[in-house]
Amino acid sequence: MYGDLGNKLVQHAKRTQILPHLPPYQTELVRTVTREVRDLHRDVDSLLEPFQGSFDPAADPASACTLLVNHLSMRRNKRCLLAYHRTRTEKLEELVWNGSDVLDLSAQQAGGANGVPGANDGGTSSLSPQEEDHVRQYGDLLAAYKGQWTDVDLTGSLEPPRDLFIDVRVLKDAGEIQTEYGAINLTKNSQFYVRQGDVERLIAQGYLQKLG
Amino acid sequence: MSYYDIDSILTDAEKIPCTFQFDIPDLGYLDNNPGQTLKTGARVGLPLWLAEMLAIANTGNIGPDDQGKSFVAFDLPPALGNDVVQALKADPRAVPIRDQSAHFYSLATHMMDLSEEPELSTVLRKTFVTRAGEIALHARKAGGGGSGKGGASEEGSNLGVGGAGEEFLRGLDEWERKLFRKAHDGARSGKEWMEGVKKF
Repeated sequence: MYGDLGNKLVQHAKRTQILPHLPPYQTELVRTVTREVRDLHRDVDSLLEPFQGSFDPAADPASACTLLVNHLSMRRNKRCLLAYHRTRTEKLEELVWNGSDVLDLSAQQAGGANGVPGANDGGTSSLSPQEEDHVRQYGDLLAAYKGQWTDVDLTGSLEPPRDLFIDVRVLKDAGEIQTEYGAINLTKNSQFYVRQGDVERLIAQGYLQKLG
Repeated sequence: MSYYDIDSILTDAEKIPCTFQFDIPDLGYLDNNPGQTLKTGARVGLPLWLAEMLAIANTGNIGPDDQGKSFVAFDLPPALGNDVVQALKADPRAVPIRDQSAHFYSLATHMMDLSEEPELSTVLRKTFVTRAGEIALHARKAGGGGSGKGGASEEGSNLGVGGAGEEFLRGLDEWERKLFRKAHDGARSGKEWMEGVKKF
């Protein structure tokens, strides 16, 4: 029946809400639902064609009902599609605010899900191309917004640090970073005792892991 | 009840029994008979989003006999039927309302918008109040015992607390689940805060 697929999409969205990460984008499902809308629209057009724009619902209640059902199905599908995308968008924006590297993260996840970690060649991202674009531009927007206040880090942690220095382990090669105490070369699996403020960003992005 | 509210959308997908009041040639597929005419008097379970508008929409007929007749007439869904209402009257806590509908309360409020059900509203109000107390009790208990196994209570599905309450908690509908989660998280955060205070 019409609208069933849209319902499936909303169930995906429901699941997305409680998951900590973002599940893969349902490209196929979205495409089928939009196709359904297009089919319905065509039905409506062909139904209305003989009337030449002078349709009187009172004279033909059966057609009026069919039209109403078609119209409602389209509206329902639209609502499902919009709600699905909005749920995902909100999740993505939340991730951007948390400072995690969304694009990188999603590629990793998709790679891991297929059982071949590290094999992330573009197409395996759990984001749709439009979503990737959105994340990139939203990130830029957030950076521009944050740039207005150089002395406050709007996305910084709200927890006051217990120690100025912390132990971190490097999860991914991050190259050389400059700190007050000289340069550190962050190579994978090495461990450092560094100032928290220097590496906060890298922890959020998933390069480093805080120990202890 | 926002346009984008996922739970509201899922509520709208609940089926309610409808009776068609017209012969409609093109809608046979609603009754699993594509290509056939949908007959007057056919009983079909339609999702709420469809049934609501069909029931409200006026056909605009000005004939003497079917003036203001809508396309379908609807009944209360079985989830709100007499059996359930009687069971709720007897003991609200003994009914796993999730088995009736995952969105029991929102379905009920939606149905009450569509038709006058004064008795149902009284029963439901009493049901919720009674159950809410029970939920709060379970939430407090789960918070007290669950602090040791922090990993399990971190996720959204922290309902598996075991014991006698498990059966009751499984029967909660979405709204009650949210309430439980909030009560549970509140109790836990309060406890955590108290523990943190002592340290300084």
